[in-house]
Amino acid sequence: MAEIRPEQQTTTISRTFLIKPKLKPKPRTQSQTPESKYWSSFKSTQIPNLVSSISSISFSPSAPHLFAAAYSASLSLFSPLSLSDGDVSPSFTISSFSDVVSSLSFRLDGLLLAASDLSGLIRVFDVKTRTPLRRLRSHTRPVRFVKYPVLDKLHLLSGGDDAVVKFWDVAGESLVLDLMGHKDYVRCGDCSPVSADMFITGSYDHTVKVWDVRVENSRSVLEVNHGKPVEDVIYLPSGGLIATAGGNSVKIWDLIGGGRMVYSMESHNKTVTSICVGRVGKGNGGGEAMEDRILSVGLDGYMKVFDYGNMKITHSMRFPAPLMSVSLSPDCRTRVIGTANGIIFAGRRKGKENEESGRGNVLGFGSTVEPERRVLRPTYFRYFHRGQSEKPAEGDYLVMRTKKVKLAEHDKLLKKFRHKDALVSVLGRKNPENVVAVMEELVARKKLLKCVSNLDAEELGLLLMFLNKHATMPRYSSLLMGLTQKVIEMRAEDIRSSDALKGHIRNLKRSIEEEIRIQHSLQEIQGIISPLLRIAGRR
Amino acid sequence: MMRGGRSFVSSPPAFSNDAKKLLVCAANTVSIFSSATGLQITSLEGHTALVTSVIVVPASNPAAKVLCYCWTTSLDGTIRYWDFSVPELIKTIDIRMPIFSMVIPSFLDVPVEDNEKHRDLFAYLSTEDTKETQEKPKVLRRQIRKCNLSKSRLVGRIILGETKKPEVLTVSPSGKFFGIRNKFKLHIWKVPDLGSEHAAVRKITLHHTKKITAIAFHPTQRIVAAGDVTGRILTWRGFGNRTFAAGKGVANEKLIDVQEDNPGVRDNDDADSCSTWHWHPAEVNVLSFSSDGAYLYSGGKEGVLVVWQLDTGKKKFLPRIGSPLLYFIDSPDPTLSSISCADNQIHLLKMPSMGILKTISGIKAPCSYPEMYNGLGNGIAFDQTAGLVAVRTENYCIQFYSLFDDRGISKVQVRERNHQPGDDVTVVVTAVALSLDGSLMSTAEVKLAEEGIGGLVCLKFWASGSQNKEFSLSTIVYEPHRDAGISAVTFHPSGHMVVSSSFGGDFKVWICNSESIQNDQMHRNSSWTCHAVGSYKKKPMTAAAFSADGSVLAVAVETLITLWNPYKNVLLSVLGETLTPVVTLSFIGKSDNLVAASRGSKPQLSLWSMSKLSLSWSYKLCVEAVASAVDLSSFAVLALLPEPSNETTFEGRDGVILLFNAIDPVPTAIWSVRKAKGGALGLLQVNPSSAEEISIDGKTPEVLLVYMNGDHEYVLFDPYSKDAYEVSVSHKEGLAALEPKGQAGQFGYASIYGELPEFDMKRNGTPWVPSFPYERPWETIFAGSSHNLPPLTKLCRTFLESLLEKRTE
Repeated sequence: MAEIRPEQQTTTISRTFLIKPKLKPKPRTQSQTPESKYWSSFKSTQIPNLVSSISSISFSPSAPHLFAAAYSASLSLFSPLSLSDGDVSPSFTISSFSDVVSSLSFRLDGLLLAASDLSGLIRVFDVKTRTPLRRLRSHTRPVRFVKYPVLDKLHLLSGGDDAVVKFWDVAGESLVLDLMGHKDYVRCGDCSPVSADMFITGSYDHTVKVWDVRVENSRSVLEVNHGKPVEDVIYLPSGGLIATAGGNSVKIWDLIGGGRMVYSMESHNKTVTSICVGRVGKGNGGGEAMEDRILSVGLDGYMKVFDYGNMKITHSMRFPAPLMSVSLSPDCRTRVIGTANGIIFAGRRKGKENEESGRGNVLGFGSTVEPERRVLRPTYFRYFHRGQSEKPAEGDYLVMRTKKVKLAEHDKLLKKFRHKDALVSVLGRKNPENVVAVMEELVARKKLLKCVSNLDAEELGLLLMFLNKHATMPRYSSLLMGLTQKVIEMRAEDIRSSDALKGHIRNLKRSIEEEIRIQHSLQEIQGIISPLLRIAGRR
Repeated sequence: MMRGGRSFVSSPPAFSNDAKKLLVCAANTVSIFSSATGLQITSLEGHTALVTSVIVVPASNPAAKVLCYCWTTSLDGTIRYWDFSVPELIKTIDIRMPIFSMVIPSFLDVPVEDNEKHRDLFAYLSTEDTKETQEKPKVLRRQIRKCNLSKSRLVGRIILGETKKPEVLTVSPSGKFFGIRNKFKLHIWKVPDLGSEHAAVRKITLHHTKKITAIAFHPTQRIVAAGDVTGRILTWRGFGNRTFAAGKGVANEKLIDVQEDNPGVRDNDDADSCSTWHWHPAEVNVLSFSSDGAYLYSGGKEGVLVVWQLDTGKKKFLPRIGSPLLYFIDSPDPTLSSISCADNQIHLLKMPSMGILKTISGIKAPCSYPEMYNGLGNGIAFDQTAGLVAVRTENYCIQFYSLFDDRGISKVQVRERNHQPGDDVTVVVTAVALSLDGSLMSTAEVKLAEEGIGGLVCLKFWASGSQNKEFSLSTIVYEPHRDAGISAVTFHPSGHMVVSSSFGGDFKVWICNSESIQNDQMHRNSSWTCHAVGSYKKKPMTAAAFSADGSVLAVAVETLITLWNPYKNVLLSVLGETLTPVVTLSFIGKSDNLVAASRGSKPQLSLWSMSKLSLSWSYKLCVEAVASAVDLSSFAVLALLPEPSNETTFEGRDGVILLFNAIDPVPTAIWSVRKAKGGALGLLQVNPSSAEEISIDGKTPEVLLVYMNGDHEYVLFDPYSKDAYEVSVSHKEGLAALEPKGQAGQFGYASIYGELPEFDMKRNGTPWVPSFPYERPWETIFAGSSHNLPPLTKLCRTFLESLLEKRTE
């Protein structure tokens, strides 16, 4: 029997320290709040080359949340799942419209899609077969919006430049109600998430009207004045609040409180074109504590996220084009923004992708075969590895093994006092921080200049290339400027004899001249500012 | 009076017979440590000079292993015999010559026949002949002598050898030979078999071309190994075959000699062969054979213990010990041995694996720094509440050493860099500051530039956990004052403000923003940010101090002292002017007095009154350190004596500690000390809660003065105690670092300064010298940083008024 003795604790005298770059300063205010991290976590993909402005984007309410985008006289359906694979081609495109498609809406089960165009026609398609099922024609002027109610499969709401809001029965292709009251083009509308009978429309006459189909005389129930032509209007998920966009402001109104304005958000510089509601996960696990936000996009190319609980802009993001439409998938995994120049910025957030696709597989291929667990025997190779991947239980006493210090190649070389090799190895790695750290260590060993004098022509080229690239960086310049001068002084002969090195020196000269120019202009600016500051400081 | 901080590595230590104790020579005493815990058990006190060797009487049979007797030698010329379990002095032999080393070969030579006759115990000593200075050439005064320990006397006039320098005797584990190294030579004596006094001792000499630095004998065979300054290890096999063979026919041997081929043996040395190993890049300090003779341990300046397999020459290493090795000692327990390092650490090794079991940590020795950084204080900070001292060490650490327990507590790696002993010093920790409660630390370090590129100044802030003294890094500031060096770092009394002054002409006030993160279990996250920058006429700032309540910040601008409001960063006043730049500033407790010390050609110690904004008094004293405590009205000053001091009066003492009482220019007490250069002073306040633990000379003082000399040995005493004098008298003969000259102020003062004309009281005739900026306001109108300049209209008026005033004069 072997006697088990506790290993006596021994310690090492001194640790090995790696050559580490200097620490970077931490900003005093955190640049990334959890929320902005959330919004930047949408991995953006561009869908280019759509002919013109993306007038409308709509998500299917049912998983996997296909989205449709209307542009020019066609509409395309995209799958968000393929987006994450980098596939930006649409699953299908319908281009049998006679005029520009203005608005799209999915039915609540995601099986039907309604599309309106500027010829005044509304068409309903079957999403699966792409066949046009119904044509609704009554508008005399271009239709600007079409909307399926949130709780109702049978009806459809539309509005257009004839200032009339129409309520349709889709199955019979018949008009149920004509709602008159707007004095200008009706541009937008939304259906209440809590009632099948209530909806709102916004018009260029600056007003937003609340309608109820149960009201006898087809008059609006409530009216609020936005003060600017209304571009978009939405119900907030509670059903009691609405948000309207017009001009460069987004306003929030309390309908239950009689159409009182709650807040006016005016941070866009140009017209706000589209708003939608998004949810943000508070806990990192996601899902449990979601808060609602209003996403607004404008012609100024900004997307702003507005927290209407705290009345605060929590995130702002710039896109390189005027933005026309925004939509977020109901599961908040996909965010799609359409621009005026035919590019869709589709962003998808990483999440429990596998779970969904796993479920899809189960449906697709039937049950997968569970691998049978075999009893381990000493004849198996795995028998000898059993228990090695066992995780410690709660109360187990852990015998910690000292962590092995992982040495980079330059660390190993420095340990062996092969200073030049260490410098060359780290120069080859293209990490400027490490290069500077190694150089500083060499200075501490008083070996840097010796290394420089020992470099051969090729390695010298490497060093000059590095200096050319980074000597003017403010973080490194204090060391690298001095070093550059020394290198040129020490190796003037070698540089003169090699054309490649001369080229590097030319580049170096150019970047130094550029830097001097920058410094000059900065000094000019400083000269302008400093008297101002002095005056301001005296007050 | 408490002493501590002694060097544990002045001489080789020794293990007791059961390997449970380690006897370490520490200055005048032998400290006995437990090898299991690494803590001190007791000490043998009695020698009055440095103890140079300790030899444990080995156990002849297993039953005798519990016996604890040892012999010690000292520079005071005595050999003492102790029972170190009690501990008790048994016997003293006075030979009246300083002893540098002693070996007792007969301990190791196991007596084969334990016959009826009790044999005398002989020891061989390395001594210095102090008497015959006239007769002999001075160079050969160190002698190897034989001593009969049983009869307590030296044996006749036998002088085995004479050397220029005191040499350490090395005895072979078999007890048959002992040897010394002497420059390029190795002298080996054979111990006579008989226990008679006058038996002839035979000697051979082995030669080498380099200076030999270490020597070791093989336990069983006739092999001797020697290391030299270049790092080579030479092994002579079969040394002394001819000389020690007790052969009579000299002619025969000569014949053999002709035939024999002795590879590697130089000249006509008496050895069979000589082989060389070379791994060490620098001199070999440690050589030792393992007890079975299969391995040879070697170590040297580079701090790596090398294990050579004797037959094959294969090597194994224990790398990165971090400090030059001095001694390697085997214990009777084969699994335990110890190495002593030059940084005053003794590591106990678990043997076959060479893991470190325990470390006996003495205070680290001061390290050499480049000349330009020597003047910047001495890198010693005292933690007043916990009784700790923080000293900087060579491997970029700060060591925390408990003054009361006399042992190392912890260390903080200030710069994460692999230290190589013997490298050029290129990275220097220049300043250490501790907050009053000892929970925060700030360090400044400098990386020297290589031919003008790559220099870096770094200011670091550290915070310790609530319980332990483990400091963790909180903030790093690279180049806090551009490329200028930091002259001083000082904590605000509240601990949440630090001021760093630089030679670049500005000082910065740093404040601590602490925010606690809840989800991380009370993890305090503090960061330091620059709060304000101040400068005065772009002159170098040389020292800084906060007043006791923290409302005034004094910054020395070369010869002037500027007073600032640290919160608003407003220049309050300027005091002037000393003769040479001020290097140390300190407020005296709660009183409104500021003491400033300057060095250089015209050193000065001056006291400034804050209420009158003028000089109270000054002395021409070269001040090394100033100590003041928050709640005290008195302060202590360590002053260096001028070079041509009177030898008879000062007995090699080169400094004095003066205790002043605030404004009174007459010191209340004076002590003279040794090795004051590079020393430090601290006033520790004993808080009542821990008062029971700290009692010195039987009673509890409320304040303790710490004096730490240039070698980091320290002494703690009550500066107000009346019997400090008597206590130290008993230590008068010894290597006492300190001895009071008298504490009745006027007497001691007169006794010293009567002899020293340089110490003329330079007290000014007028009691208060008004500082001149008040007479000439135009000199200070434009002083201070630009952002707190008064508006131009105001300036103009003052300026014109001042001119008008002048004209009326």
